[in-house]
Amino acid sequence: MVKITYVEHDGERTTVDAQPGESMMKAAVSHGVAGIEAVCGGNCACGTCRIYVDDNWRAKLPSPGESESEMIDFCGDPDPRVRLSCQIAVSEDLDGMEVTLPESQQ
Amino acid sequence: MTNFETADVFKDLDVNDDPYSYFEYLRGKGPVTPLALRNVVAVTGYDEGVAIFRDDENFSAIDSTTGPFLPLDYDPSLDIDDQIARCRQENPFANTIINQDLPDHNRSKAILNGIITPARLKENEAFMHTLSDQIIDEFIDRGTFDAVSEYGQPFAQLVIADLLGVPKEDHGQFRDMIGDPAQLPGALGGDFDFSKNPFVGIATYFATYIQERRANPRGDVLTRLAQQTADDGSLPDVMEVVAVATFLFGAGQDTTVQLFTGMMRYLAENPGLEDRLRENPALIPDLVEEVLRLQGTVKSTFRYVRRPVTVGGVDLEPGMHVMINLAAMNRDPKRFPDPTTFDIERKNVRSHVSFGRGIHACAGGPLARAEARVTMERLLPRIRNIRLNEAKHGPAGARHFDYLPNYSLRGVSEMQVEFDRID
Repeated sequence: MVKITYVEHDGERTTVDAQPGESMMKAAVSHGVAGIEAVCGGNCACGTCRIYVDDNWRAKLPSPGESESEMIDFCGDPDPRVRLSCQIAVSEDLDGMEVTLPESQQ
Repeated sequence: MTNFETADVFKDLDVNDDPYSYFEYLRGKGPVTPLALRNVVAVTGYDEGVAIFRDDENFSAIDSTTGPFLPLDYDPSLDIDDQIARCRQENPFANTIINQDLPDHNRSKAILNGIITPARLKENEAFMHTLSDQIIDEFIDRGTFDAVSEYGQPFAQLVIADLLGVPKEDHGQFRDMIGDPAQLPGALGGDFDFSKNPFVGIATYFATYIQERRANPRGDVLTRLAQQTADDGSLPDVMEVVAVATFLFGAGQDTTVQLFTGMMRYLAENPGLEDRLRENPALIPDLVEEVLRLQGTVKSTFRYVRRPVTVGGVDLEPGMHVMINLAAMNRDPKRFPDPTTFDIERKNVRSHVSFGRGIHACAGGPLARAEARVTMERLLPRIRNIRLNEAKHGPAGARHFDYLPNYSLRGVSEMQVEFDRID
């Protein structure tokens, strides 16, 4: 199990036991993290599963692919830490990771 | 007065004309409530519906458009997944992207994602502006137009044509290939004639385009479509690509048209609203969202239960049809306070479910939103004093419309709008 903590915009914290291989979006949604909407269910088509990842953890993630980068541009979220959680697979390396969530996913 | 206890939502015109009262009756019985007919369970609760949309394991999308008229008589002594697979083979309309389950859905979705890219949407929006102006030119001097046939239908059809890269010289033919909304899945009574659908004509065009581009690539949008690979990196059959392209014309037609009629209706019924939007066009997206919430075109969609599962305290058994009433979820008072009030300043309006949720969420959502916004941006500077034709639709407070006889889609067959031209 990999422990990941999602911090809502209002400071509410949820730590989940994520399965290696599932997406960070799935791990959040299946544990009821309200700040991840994931309208499109993980198709990299809606930009509503955005998370903010600080530099120290960001370095441990694979760089965003072309479709993720395009969708992030399309959303217009100006935060430089933004990633799409549906495009990040949970791995053992991410144990203890903490990410913050935007005020609104729209 | 309709007796809701005995009403058949799949046949009764009274329920069809006012589905919202029926949904409130259902909500009174619980967020998930079995109907006494056709092995259907109705969902009116927001949280319950979203949970079902996110559950691809216990639910299949095979009946998403047909509901209980799916030609599948479940036999509990046989494997349900085998029966679903056989039903798809025998009924091509149960095997389009909207009805597919994982992993087949991933394959179609990869082809579709290659078509609807953020970059392509941006280019498409530039076309929308020009197209909107041209169509408005056709009726601007008349002071009246039918929002369905004289704006919505040609606009929605040609936007999809442009999105897919149909050459300009063929746009006239595509404008003539608009389907009869009476012949769609979801028709009351379960009767519809898909052969009357223009998809056959559109599919013929696309088969030719794709074959021709595969033989002679030329760096246009259709060539990109022809070369788009599936999720496993393979090049799909021509007809697989044709199926996805053709599907878009169906999915993006009546749904979008009725978003326009919804907006025109709220503008006509709320004097002052048009001035507010004209003064502050930044409010247009909020109008679009609130109209989607209150008058989303897809009032109900379906899922087929394939494993025993409990939702909202109700046990569901394999073979049941879950009727997910989006129109009721969008009026769930637990999610949207004072839900029937039209309020473009509603804080959480964007969490409506008019485009669904989960892997089947509408891929054309961003497209439809752009179409609605561009339409308002082009119309409002040119027309004012927007009102409904009283001879046709009755006076304020006593309006009447011919609603599409369909248990899945909500819409009107025409909407005669009158206006003053802005010079």
